[in-house]
Amino acid sequence: MTENVDHDLKVDYSRDEMARQHFVSGMRTYVLNNLSGGMRTVYNKKVEPNFKKKNKRVPKTAPEIHKALKDETIFKFYSSMRCNTQEMVWRSVIPGIERQAEDLSAKTKVLAQSTQKANGTLTLDPKLAIPRYTADLDVHLMPGNYHEEHIPDDVSQGAIFDNGLSVFAMGFLGPRMDDITQSVSTYFTKRYPDFKPKAILDMGCTLGHSTLPWKQRYPNAEVTGIDVGAPSVRYAHGRAQSYGVSANFAQKDAEHTAYPDESFDVIYSCMFLHEVPKKNIRNIFKEAYRMLKPGGVMLHYELPPNKMLSAYDSFYLDWDSFYNKEPFYKAFRDSDPQEECTAAGFKKNKYFQYVAPSLNFYGESAIIKAIADAKANTEGENHMGRLVDGVQWFTFGAWK
Amino acid sequence: MFAVKAKKSQAKLRQSVKGKQMRFFEAQGVDELVSICMTLAQELWVVKERLASVEAAAAKKGVILGQEIESFAFSPEQRAMVDEEKKQFIERVFFTLREQAESLETKPTAEPDGPKVP
Ligand SMILES: C[S@@+](CC[C@H](N)C(=O)[O-])C[C@H]1O[C@@H](n2cnc3c(N)ncnc32)[C@H](O)[C@@H]1O
Repeated sequence: MTENVDHDLKVDYSRDEMARQHFVSGMRTYVLNNLSGGMRTVYNKKVEPNFKKKNKRVPKTAPEIHKALKDETIFKFYSSMRCNTQEMVWRSVIPGIERQAEDLSAKTKVLAQSTQKANGTLTLDPKLAIPRYTADLDVHLMPGNYHEEHIPDDVSQGAIFDNGLSVFAMGFLGPRMDDITQSVSTYFTKRYPDFKPKAILDMGCTLGHSTLPWKQRYPNAEVTGIDVGAPSVRYAHGRAQSYGVSANFAQKDAEHTAYPDESFDVIYSCMFLHEVPKKNIRNIFKEAYRMLKPGGVMLHYELPPNKMLSAYDSFYLDWDSFYNKEPFYKAFRDSDPQEECTAAGFKKNKYFQYVAPSLNFYGESAIIKAIADAKANTEGENHMGRLVDGVQWFTFGAWK
Repeated sequence: MFAVKAKKSQAKLRQSVKGKQMRFFEAQGVDELVSICMTLAQELWVVKERLASVEAAAAKKGVILGQEIESFAFSPEQRAMVDEEKKQFIERVFFTLREQAESLETKPTAEPDGPKVP
Protein backbone atom coordinates (compact mmCIF):
# COMPACT_ATOMS: atom_id res chain seq x y z
CA MET A 1 0.00 0.00 0.00
CA THR A 2 1.02 3.61 -0.42
CA GLU A 3 2.46 5.22 2.71
CA ASN A 4 -0.49 7.37 3.89
CA VAL A 5 -3.44 5.42 2.48
CA ASP A 6 -4.52 3.15 5.32
CA HIS A 7 -8.29 2.71 4.82
CA ASP A 8 -10.26 -0.09 3.10
CA LEU A 9 -9.70 1.35 -0.40
CA LYS A 10 -5.95 0.98 -0.21
CA VAL A 11 -4.21 -0.51 -3.24
CA ASP A 12 -1.78 -3.44 -3.28
CA TYR A 13 1.54 -2.54 -4.82
CA SER A 14 4.52 -4.75 -5.51
CA ARG A 15 7.80 -4.03 -3.77
CA ASP A 16 9.23 -2.57 -6.97
CA GLU A 17 6.22 -0.31 -7.46
CA MET A 18 6.65 0.91 -3.90
CA ALA A 19 10.35 1.53 -4.53
CA ARG A 20 9.33 3.59 -7.57
CA GLN A 21 7.06 5.65 -5.30
CA HIS A 22 9.83 6.09 -2.72
CA PHE A 23 12.11 7.32 -5.47
CA VAL A 24 9.58 9.93 -6.59
CA SER A 25 9.18 11.23 -3.02
CA GLY A 26 12.97 11.46 -2.73
CA MET A 27 13.21 13.19 -6.09
CA ARG A 28 10.64 15.75 -4.96
CA THR A 29 12.68 16.49 -1.86
CA TYR A 30 15.73 17.00 -4.06
CA VAL A 31 13.96 19.29 -6.55
CA LEU A 32 12.16 21.35 -3.89
CA ASN A 33 15.16 21.69 -1.57
CA ASN A 34 18.43 21.33 -3.43
CA LEU A 35 17.47 22.49 -6.92
CA SER A 36 15.17 25.27 -5.78
CA GLY A 37 17.87 26.41 -3.34
CA GLY A 38 20.39 26.37 -6.18
CA MET A 39 18.06 28.42 -8.36
CA ARG A 40 17.74 30.97 -5.55
CA THR A 41 21.54 31.19 -5.31
CA VAL A 42 21.87 31.72 -9.05
CA TYR A 43 19.23 34.44 -8.79
CA ASN A 44 20.91 36.20 -5.86
CA LYS A 45 24.48 35.94 -7.11
CA LYS A 46 24.05 36.30 -10.83
CA VAL A 47 20.63 37.19 -12.20
CA GLU A 48 19.75 39.99 -9.80
CA PRO A 49 23.20 41.68 -10.02
CA ASN A 50 23.10 41.50 -13.83
CA PHE A 51 19.61 42.98 -13.89
CA LYS A 52 20.75 45.75 -11.56
CA LYS A 53 23.70 46.59 -13.77
CA LYS A 54 21.42 46.98 -16.77
CA ASN A 55 18.40 48.67 -15.18
CA LYS A 56 19.94 50.50 -12.19
CA ARG A 57 17.47 48.74 -9.87
CA VAL A 58 16.54 45.22 -8.75
CA PRO A 59 13.52 43.38 -10.22
CA LYS A 60 10.35 44.49 -8.48
CA THR A 61 7.73 42.02 -9.65
CA ALA A 62 7.31 38.28 -10.08
CA PRO A 63 7.04 38.53 -13.90
CA GLU A 64 10.31 40.52 -14.02
CA ILE A 65 12.07 37.82 -12.02
CA HIS A 66 10.53 35.10 -14.14
CA LYS A 67 11.70 36.79 -17.33
CA ALA A 68 15.20 37.33 -15.99
CA LEU A 69 15.58 33.76 -14.72
CA LYS A 70 14.00 31.71 -17.45
CA ASP A 71 17.07 31.51 -19.70
CA GLU A 72 19.26 30.15 -16.89
CA THR A 73 20.17 26.48 -17.15
CA ILE A 74 19.25 25.94 -13.51
CA PHE A 75 15.74 27.27 -14.16
CA LYS A 76 15.36 24.91 -17.08
CA PHE A 77 16.49 21.90 -15.10
CA TYR A 78 14.42 22.89 -12.08
CA SER A 79 11.36 23.31 -14.29
CA SER A 80 11.81 20.26 -16.42
CA MET A 81 12.61 18.07 -13.42
CA ARG A 82 9.68 19.42 -11.43
CA CYS A 83 7.32 18.65 -14.32
CA ASN A 84 8.83 15.20 -14.68
CA THR A 85 8.59 14.51 -10.95
CA GLN A 86 4.99 15.65 -10.97
CA GLU A 87 4.12 13.29 -13.83
CA MET A 88 6.06 10.50 -12.13
CA VAL A 89 3.96 10.97 -8.98
CA TRP A 90 0.85 9.88 -10.88
CA ARG A 91 2.64 7.29 -13.01
CA SER A 92 3.99 5.64 -9.86
CA VAL A 93 0.47 4.88 -8.62
CA ILE A 94 -1.60 4.35 -11.79
CA PRO A 95 -0.57 0.77 -12.75
CA GLY A 96 -1.73 -0.74 -9.44
CA ILE A 97 -5.02 1.14 -9.63
CA GLU A 98 -5.57 0.05 -13.20
CA ARG A 99 -5.05 -3.56 -12.08
CA GLN A 100 -7.47 -3.24 -9.15
CA ALA A 101 -10.04 -0.80 -10.58
CA GLU A 102 -12.96 -3.26 -10.55
CA ASP A 103 -12.00 -4.44 -7.10
CA LEU A 104 -11.91 -0.89 -5.73
CA SER A 105 -15.26 -0.08 -7.25
CA ALA A 106 -16.81 -3.24 -5.71
CA LYS A 107 -15.30 -2.44 -2.30
CA THR A 108 -16.63 1.12 -2.49
CA LYS A 109 -20.14 -0.21 -3.10
CA VAL A 110 -19.95 -2.51 -0.08
CA LEU A 111 -18.71 0.35 2.11
CA ALA A 112 -21.47 2.64 0.80
CA GLN A 113 -24.17 0.15 1.73
CA SER A 114 -22.80 -0.87 5.10
CA THR A 115 -24.12 1.05 8.11
CA GLN A 116 -21.88 -0.78 10.55
CA LYS A 117 -19.42 2.01 11.27
CA ALA A 118 -21.03 5.12 9.76
CA ASN A 119 -24.12 6.15 7.85
CA GLY A 120 -23.33 9.08 5.60
CA THR A 121 -25.22 9.41 2.32
CA LEU A 122 -23.99 9.49 -1.29
CA THR A 123 -25.91 11.39 -3.96
CA LEU A 124 -24.83 11.22 -7.59
CA ASP A 125 -26.11 13.32 -10.47
CA PRO A 126 -25.15 11.64 -13.76
CA LYS A 127 -26.63 14.59 -15.70
CA LEU A 128 -24.36 17.16 -14.06
CA ALA A 129 -22.12 18.88 -16.60
CA ILE A 130 -18.43 19.15 -15.66
CA PRO A 131 -17.57 22.90 -15.76
CA ARG A 132 -15.90 23.89 -19.05
CA TYR A 133 -12.82 25.25 -17.30
CA THR A 134 -11.87 21.86 -15.89
CA ALA A 135 -13.54 19.32 -18.20
CA ASP A 136 -10.62 19.11 -20.63
CA LEU A 137 -7.73 19.83 -18.35
CA ASP A 138 -5.31 17.35 -16.78
CA VAL A 139 -5.00 19.63 -13.77
CA HIS A 140 -1.52 19.61 -12.15
CA LEU A 141 -0.42 17.11 -14.81
CA MET A 142 -2.74 14.45 -13.37
CA PRO A 143 -3.99 12.27 -16.23
CA GLY A 144 -7.79 12.03 -16.05
CA ASN A 145 -8.36 14.89 -13.60
CA TYR A 146 -10.89 14.29 -10.78
CA HIS A 147 -13.75 13.20 -12.97
CA GLU A 148 -12.74 10.92 -15.88
CA GLU A 149 -14.50 7.53 -15.74
CA HIS A 150 -13.08 4.33 -17.21
CA ILE A 151 -15.49 1.60 -16.03
CA PRO A 152 -19.01 1.63 -14.49
CA ASP A 153 -19.09 3.01 -10.91
CA ASP A 154 -15.45 3.96 -11.31
CA VAL A 155 -13.41 5.32 -8.39
CA SER A 156 -10.01 5.19 -10.14
CA GLN A 157 -9.46 8.94 -10.33
CA GLY A 158 -10.16 9.14 -6.60
CA ALA A 159 -7.60 6.41 -5.96
CA ILE A 160 -5.07 8.16 -8.21
CA PHE A 161 -5.41 11.40 -6.26
CA ASP A 162 -5.31 9.70 -2.83
CA ASN A 163 -2.29 7.49 -3.53
CA GLY A 164 -0.60 10.19 -5.61
CA LEU A 165 -1.09 12.74 -2.83
CA SER A 166 0.62 10.34 -0.45
CA VAL A 167 3.68 10.09 -2.73
CA PHE A 168 3.57 13.85 -3.29
CA ALA A 169 3.12 14.92 0.34
CA MET A 170 5.80 12.63 1.86
CA GLY A 171 4.16 12.74 5.29
CA PHE A 172 4.08 16.54 5.23
CA LEU A 173 0.25 16.61 5.44
CA GLY A 174 -0.02 14.34 8.47
CA PRO A 175 -0.86 10.63 8.75
CA ARG A 176 -4.26 11.00 7.05
CA MET A 177 -3.13 13.85 4.80
CA ASP A 178 -5.74 16.13 6.34
CA ASP A 179 -3.48 18.41 8.39
CA ILE A 180 -4.63 21.56 6.59
CA THR A 181 -8.26 21.26 7.61
CA GLN A 182 -7.37 19.71 10.98
CA SER A 183 -5.32 22.85 11.72
CA VAL A 184 -7.68 25.38 10.14
CA SER A 185 -10.78 23.95 11.88
CA THR A 186 -9.01 23.64 15.24
CA TYR A 187 -8.00 27.28 15.01
CA PHE A 188 -11.56 28.20 14.10
CA THR A 189 -13.19 26.32 17.01
CA LYS A 190 -10.70 27.73 19.53
CA ARG A 191 -11.06 31.24 18.12
CA TYR A 192 -14.89 31.17 18.13
CA PRO A 193 -15.76 28.80 21.02
CA ASP A 194 -19.39 29.98 21.28
CA PHE A 195 -20.19 29.33 17.64
CA LYS A 196 -21.99 25.97 17.32
CA PRO A 197 -22.75 25.16 13.68
CA LYS A 198 -25.44 22.60 12.84
CA ALA A 199 -24.83 22.28 9.09
CA ILE A 200 -21.42 22.45 7.38
CA LEU A 201 -20.66 22.36 3.65
CA ASP A 202 -17.26 21.62 2.06
CA MET A 203 -17.10 22.76 -1.59
CA GLY A 204 -14.73 20.99 -4.01
CA CYS A 205 -14.24 18.27 -1.40
CA THR A 206 -12.51 15.70 -3.70
CA LEU A 207 -11.84 12.74 -1.34
CA GLY A 208 -13.06 14.31 1.89
CA HIS A 209 -9.64 15.14 3.36
CA SER A 210 -11.06 18.61 3.95
CA THR A 211 -14.55 17.39 4.96
CA LEU A 212 -14.12 14.81 7.72
CA PRO A 213 -12.14 16.96 10.21
CA TRP A 214 -15.24 19.18 10.61
CA LYS A 215 -17.20 16.19 11.91
CA GLN A 216 -14.45 15.67 14.51
CA ARG A 217 -14.71 19.31 15.61
CA TYR A 218 -18.53 19.37 15.60
CA PRO A 219 -19.80 15.78 16.06
CA ASN A 220 -23.45 16.87 16.19
CA ALA A 221 -23.34 18.84 12.95
CA GLU A 222 -24.50 17.52 9.58
CA VAL A 223 -21.36 17.63 7.41
CA THR A 224 -21.59 17.50 3.61
CA GLY A 225 -18.95 17.52 0.88
CA ILE A 226 -19.76 18.40 -2.74
CA ASP A 227 -17.69 17.95 -5.89
CA VAL A 228 -18.37 17.76 -9.62
CA GLY A 229 -16.34 14.55 -10.03
CA ALA A 230 -18.36 11.35 -9.59
CA PRO A 231 -15.29 9.13 -8.95
CA SER A 232 -14.17 11.62 -6.30
CA VAL A 233 -17.41 11.70 -4.30
CA ARG A 234 -17.87 7.92 -4.56
CA TYR A 235 -14.37 7.41 -3.23
CA ALA A 236 -14.80 10.15 -0.58
CA HIS A 237 -17.93 8.43 0.71
CA GLY A 238 -16.23 5.00 0.81
CA ARG A 239 -13.21 6.47 2.59
CA ALA A 240 -15.42 8.18 5.21
CA GLN A 241 -17.43 4.98 5.78
CA SER A 242 -14.18 3.05 6.17
CA TYR A 243 -12.90 5.51 8.77
CA GLY A 244 -16.28 5.36 10.57
CA VAL A 245 -17.14 9.02 9.98
CA SER A 246 -20.75 9.86 9.06
CA ALA A 247 -20.53 12.54 6.40
CA ASN A 248 -22.65 13.09 3.28
CA PHE A 249 -21.22 13.45 -0.19
CA ALA A 250 -22.98 14.76 -3.28
CA GLN A 251 -22.03 15.34 -6.89
CA LYS A 252 -22.85 19.02 -7.33
CA ASP A 253 -21.49 22.17 -8.92
CA ALA A 254 -20.68 24.78 -6.24
CA GLU A 255 -21.90 27.52 -8.60
CA HIS A 256 -25.48 26.24 -8.47
CA THR A 257 -26.06 23.64 -5.78
CA ALA A 258 -29.90 23.75 -5.56
CA TYR A 259 -29.62 23.74 -1.75
CA PRO A 260 -32.27 26.00 -0.18
CA ASP A 261 -31.46 29.57 0.92
CA GLU A 262 -29.94 29.89 4.39
CA SER A 263 -29.28 26.17 4.87
CA PHE A 264 -25.68 26.14 6.21
CA ASP A 265 -23.82 27.67 9.16
CA VAL A 266 -20.34 27.05 7.75
CA ILE A 267 -19.40 26.97 4.06
CA TYR A 268 -15.80 25.93 3.64
CA SER A 269 -13.32 25.09 0.90
CA CYS A 270 -9.73 23.88 0.95
CA MET A 271 -7.25 24.19 -1.93
CA PHE A 272 -10.26 24.67 -4.19
CA LEU A 273 -10.39 28.29 -5.36
CA HIS A 274 -7.00 28.35 -7.12
CA GLU A 275 -8.30 25.74 -9.56
CA VAL A 276 -11.31 27.90 -10.49
CA PRO A 277 -11.37 30.95 -12.82
CA LYS A 278 -12.11 34.30 -11.18
CA LYS A 279 -15.49 34.69 -12.85
CA ASN A 280 -16.63 31.34 -11.46
CA ILE A 281 -15.20 32.09 -7.99
CA ARG A 282 -17.44 35.15 -7.95
CA ASN A 283 -20.48 33.00 -8.72
CA ILE A 284 -19.45 30.47 -6.08
CA PHE A 285 -19.11 33.19 -3.41
CA LYS A 286 -22.55 34.56 -4.33
CA GLU A 287 -23.99 31.06 -4.10
CA ALA A 288 -22.31 30.61 -0.71
CA TYR A 289 -23.80 33.90 0.51
CA ARG A 290 -27.25 32.72 -0.57
CA MET A 291 -26.87 29.34 1.18
CA LEU A 292 -25.52 30.79 4.45
CA LYS A 293 -27.77 31.39 7.43
CA PRO A 294 -27.48 34.90 8.90
CA GLY A 295 -24.63 34.70 11.41
CA GLY A 296 -23.02 31.90 9.40
CA VAL A 297 -19.51 31.96 8.04
CA MET A 298 -17.75 31.37 4.71
CA LEU A 299 -14.18 30.11 5.14
CA HIS A 300 -11.42 29.21 2.66
CA TYR A 301 -7.98 27.72 3.05
CA GLU A 302 -5.74 28.83 0.18
CA LEU A 303 -2.25 29.74 -0.91
CA PRO A 304 -1.46 33.23 0.33
CA PRO A 305 -2.21 36.13 -2.05
CA ASN A 306 0.74 37.56 -3.96
CA LYS A 307 0.51 40.89 -2.13
CA MET A 308 1.48 39.12 1.12
CA LEU A 309 4.67 37.71 -0.44
CA SER A 310 7.99 38.98 -1.71
CA ALA A 311 8.43 39.25 -5.49
CA TYR A 312 10.67 36.17 -5.53
CA ASP A 313 8.24 34.05 -3.49
CA SER A 314 5.40 35.13 -5.78
CA PHE A 315 7.44 34.12 -8.81
CA TYR A 316 8.23 30.82 -7.11
CA LEU A 317 4.57 29.99 -6.34
CA ASP A 318 3.32 31.31 -9.69
CA TRP A 319 5.56 28.78 -11.46
CA ASP A 320 2.72 26.24 -11.19
CA SER A 321 0.37 28.46 -13.11
CA PHE A 322 2.71 28.54 -16.10
CA TYR A 323 4.08 25.01 -16.12
CA ASN A 324 2.05 22.70 -13.90
CA LYS A 325 -1.33 23.02 -15.64
CA GLU A 326 -2.80 25.28 -12.99
CA PRO A 327 -4.04 27.95 -15.41
CA PHE A 328 -6.17 29.93 -12.92
CA TYR A 329 -3.81 29.86 -9.98
CA LYS A 330 -2.00 33.13 -10.74
CA ALA A 331 -5.14 35.18 -11.36
CA PHE A 332 -6.56 33.93 -8.07
CA ARG A 333 -3.39 34.76 -6.16
CA ASP A 334 -3.24 38.20 -7.80
CA SER A 335 -6.75 38.98 -6.56
CA ASP A 336 -7.70 40.49 -3.20
CA PRO A 337 -9.66 37.99 -1.07
CA GLN A 338 -11.46 40.75 0.83
CA GLU A 339 -12.65 42.41 -2.39
CA GLU A 340 -13.94 39.07 -3.66
CA CYS A 341 -15.93 38.56 -0.45
CA THR A 342 -17.50 42.01 -0.53
CA ALA A 343 -18.35 41.63 -4.24
CA ALA A 344 -20.49 38.63 -3.24
CA GLY A 345 -22.48 40.60 -0.66
CA PHE A 346 -20.43 40.15 2.51
CA LYS A 347 -19.89 43.34 4.52
CA LYS A 348 -16.34 44.65 4.42
CA ASN A 349 -16.01 44.71 8.20
CA LYS A 350 -17.14 41.07 8.40
CA TYR A 351 -14.01 39.89 6.59
CA PHE A 352 -11.20 38.15 8.50
CA GLN A 353 -8.09 36.14 7.81
CA TYR A 354 -5.72 34.05 9.86
CA VAL A 355 -2.68 31.83 9.59
CA ALA A 356 -3.07 28.53 11.43
CA PRO A 357 0.11 26.72 12.55
CA SER A 358 0.16 23.04 11.58
CA LEU A 359 -1.54 20.85 14.18
CA ASN A 360 0.51 17.86 13.05
CA PHE A 361 3.88 19.63 13.39
CA TYR A 362 3.35 21.96 16.35
CA GLY A 363 0.28 20.68 18.25
CA GLU A 364 -2.78 22.41 19.66
CA SER A 365 -0.80 24.63 22.02
CA ALA A 366 0.82 26.42 19.05
CA ILE A 367 -2.63 27.13 17.63
CA ILE A 368 -3.87 28.51 20.95
CA LYS A 369 -0.77 30.69 21.15
CA ALA A 370 -1.26 31.95 17.58
CA ILE A 371 -4.83 32.95 18.47
CA ALA A 372 -3.67 34.81 21.59
CA ASP A 373 -0.95 36.59 19.56
CA ALA A 374 -3.41 37.58 16.85
CA LYS A 375 -5.86 38.94 19.42
CA ALA A 376 -3.14 40.95 21.12
CA ASN A 377 -1.96 42.46 17.84
CA THR A 378 -5.24 43.71 16.44
CA GLU A 379 -8.55 45.10 17.42
CA GLY A 380 -11.68 43.28 16.41
CA GLU A 381 -12.11 40.71 13.70
CA ASN A 382 -10.30 42.29 10.82
CA HIS A 383 -6.80 41.16 11.66
CA MET A 384 -4.13 40.24 9.16
CA GLY A 385 -2.69 36.79 9.43
CA ARG A 386 1.07 37.07 9.56
CA LEU A 387 3.21 34.71 7.52
CA VAL A 388 6.31 33.49 9.26
CA ASP A 389 8.56 30.55 8.49
CA GLY A 390 7.26 27.06 9.19
CA VAL A 391 4.32 24.88 8.28
CA GLN A 392 1.21 27.03 8.47
CA TRP A 393 -2.00 27.49 6.59
CA PHE A 394 -3.47 30.79 5.31
CA THR A 395 -7.22 31.10 5.73
CA PHE A 396 -9.71 33.86 4.95
CA GLY A 397 -13.43 34.26 5.28
CA ALA A 398 -16.41 36.43 6.11
CA TRP A 399 -19.42 36.32 8.41
CA LYS A 400 -22.88 36.88 7.03
CA MET B 1 9.99 -9.98 -10.35
CA PHE B 2 6.30 -9.19 -9.66
CA ALA B 3 4.66 -11.28 -6.98
CA VAL B 4 1.60 -9.03 -7.15
CA LYS B 5 -0.11 -10.88 -10.00
CA ALA B 6 -1.45 -8.79 -12.84
CA LYS B 7 -5.17 -9.51 -12.49
CA LYS B 8 -7.37 -9.30 -15.56
CA SER B 9 -8.83 -5.81 -15.49
CA GLN B 10 -11.08 -4.11 -18.02
CA ALA B 11 -9.90 -0.70 -16.90
CA LYS B 12 -7.56 1.23 -19.16
CA LEU B 13 -6.26 4.26 -17.31
CA ARG B 14 -4.37 7.07 -18.96
CA GLN B 15 -0.72 7.80 -18.09
CA SER B 16 0.03 10.50 -20.65
CA VAL B 17 -0.91 14.05 -19.82
CA LYS B 18 -3.07 15.49 -22.56
CA GLY B 19 -2.69 18.93 -24.13
CA LYS B 20 0.35 21.14 -24.37
CA GLN B 21 3.59 19.55 -23.19
CA MET B 22 6.01 21.66 -21.15
CA ARG B 23 9.34 22.25 -22.84
CA PHE B 24 12.22 24.32 -21.46
CA PHE B 25 15.34 23.72 -23.56
CA GLU B 26 15.95 25.24 -26.99
CA ALA B 27 17.73 22.24 -28.46
CA GLN B 28 15.33 19.58 -29.55
CA GLY B 29 15.22 16.46 -27.46
CA VAL B 30 16.87 17.79 -24.32
CA ASP B 31 13.63 17.83 -22.32
CA GLU B 32 13.06 14.26 -23.39
CA LEU B 33 16.58 13.30 -22.37
CA VAL B 34 15.97 14.76 -18.93
CA SER B 35 12.86 12.67 -18.64
CA ILE B 36 14.64 9.53 -19.79
CA CYS B 37 17.51 10.14 -17.39
CA MET B 38 15.11 10.57 -14.52
CA THR B 39 13.33 7.36 -15.30
CA LEU B 40 16.65 5.57 -15.63
CA ALA B 41 17.59 6.90 -12.25
CA GLN B 42 14.25 5.71 -10.92
CA GLU B 43 14.72 2.22 -12.30
CA LEU B 44 18.23 2.04 -10.94
CA TRP B 45 16.80 3.04 -7.61
CA VAL B 46 14.23 0.24 -7.88
CA VAL B 47 17.03 -2.26 -8.30
CA LYS B 48 19.00 -0.78 -5.44
CA GLU B 49 16.02 -0.81 -3.11
CA ARG B 50 15.24 -4.38 -4.05
CA LEU B 51 18.82 -5.41 -3.49
CA ALA B 52 18.83 -3.72 -0.12
CA SER B 53 15.76 -5.69 0.87
CA VAL B 54 17.29 -8.94 -0.41
CA GLU B 55 20.35 -8.39 1.73
CA ALA B 56 18.37 -7.44 4.79
CA ALA B 57 16.04 -10.40 4.37
CA ALA B 58 18.90 -12.81 3.81
CA ALA B 59 20.60 -11.61 6.93
CA LYS B 60 17.43 -12.21 8.88
CA LYS B 61 16.49 -15.67 7.67
CA GLY B 62 19.34 -17.09 5.74
CA VAL B 63 17.01 -18.01 2.85
CA ILE B 64 16.03 -15.95 -0.12
CA LEU B 65 12.71 -16.58 -1.82
CA GLY B 66 10.71 -14.31 -4.14
CA GLN B 67 7.73 -14.50 -1.79
CA GLU B 68 9.97 -13.76 1.15
CA ILE B 69 11.16 -10.54 -0.49
CA GLU B 70 7.68 -9.54 -1.55
CA SER B 71 6.31 -9.45 1.98
CA PHE B 72 9.46 -8.12 3.57
CA ALA B 73 9.27 -4.80 5.40
CA PHE B 74 12.23 -2.76 6.62
CA SER B 75 12.39 -1.90 10.28
CA PRO B 76 12.14 1.86 10.92
CA GLU B 77 15.93 1.93 11.43
CA GLN B 78 16.61 0.07 8.20
CA ARG B 79 14.13 2.31 6.37
CA ALA B 80 15.94 5.38 7.65
CA MET B 81 19.26 4.01 6.40
CA VAL B 82 17.83 3.18 3.00
CA ASP B 83 16.17 6.60 2.76
CA GLU B 84 19.44 8.26 3.56
CA GLU B 85 21.11 6.23 0.86
CA LYS B 86 18.40 7.23 -1.60
CA LYS B 87 19.02 10.88 -0.83
CA GLN B 88 22.72 10.54 -1.49
CA PHE B 89 22.10 8.50 -4.62
CA ILE B 90 19.93 11.24 -6.12
CA GLU B 91 22.37 13.95 -5.17
CA ARG B 92 25.16 11.98 -6.84
CA VAL B 93 23.30 11.46 -10.13
CA PHE B 94 22.37 15.12 -10.46
CA PHE B 95 25.59 16.53 -9.10
CA THR B 96 26.24 18.76 -12.10
CA LEU B 97 23.25 20.90 -11.22
CA ARG B 98 24.41 21.43 -7.67
CA GLU B 99 27.79 22.41 -9.06
CA GLN B 100 26.21 25.20 -11.09
CA ALA B 101 24.92 26.88 -7.96
CA GLU B 102 27.83 26.11 -5.66
CA SER B 103 30.37 27.42 -8.13
CA LEU B 104 28.74 30.82 -7.64
CA GLU B 105 28.66 30.62 -3.89
CA THR B 106 32.45 30.50 -3.51
CA LYS B 107 34.44 33.64 -4.33
CA PRO B 108 35.88 33.57 -7.85
CA THR B 109 39.60 32.71 -7.67
CA ALA B 110 42.15 34.26 -9.96
CA GLU B 111 42.15 31.24 -12.17
CA PRO B 112 44.71 31.35 -14.96
CA ASP B 113 43.18 31.24 -18.41
CA GLY B 114 44.00 28.26 -20.60
CA PRO B 115 44.56 28.52 -24.29
CA LYS B 116 41.79 30.15 -26.30
CA VAL B 117 39.41 27.72 -27.96
CA PRO B 118 39.87 28.11 -31.69
C1 LIG C 1 -7.67 20.67 -5.49
S1 LIG C 1 -9.13 19.81 -5.38
C2 LIG C 1 -9.68 20.11 -3.71
C3 LIG C 1 -8.98 19.29 -2.66
C4 LIG C 1 -9.77 18.98 -1.41
N1 LIG C 1 -10.63 20.04 -0.97
C5 LIG C 1 -8.76 18.62 -0.33
O1 LIG C 1 -8.56 19.44 0.57
O2 LIG C 1 -8.20 17.54 -0.38
C6 LIG C 1 -10.34 20.72 -6.31
C7 LIG C 1 -11.68 19.97 -6.47
O3 LIG C 1 -12.68 20.88 -6.88
C8 LIG C 1 -13.58 20.23 -7.75
N2 LIG C 1 -14.32 21.26 -8.49
C9 LIG C 1 -13.87 22.09 -9.46
N3 LIG C 1 -14.84 22.95 -9.83
C10 LIG C 1 -15.93 22.67 -9.04
C11 LIG C 1 -17.23 23.22 -8.92
N4 LIG C 1 -17.63 24.24 -9.69
N5 LIG C 1 -18.06 22.70 -8.01
C12 LIG C 1 -17.69 21.66 -7.21
N6 LIG C 1 -16.47 21.10 -7.28
C13 LIG C 1 -15.60 21.59 -8.18
C14 LIG C 1 -12.68 19.32 -8.56
O4 LIG C 1 -13.42 18.26 -9.14
C15 LIG C 1 -11.67 18.88 -7.52
O5 LIG C 1 -12.07 17.67 -6.93
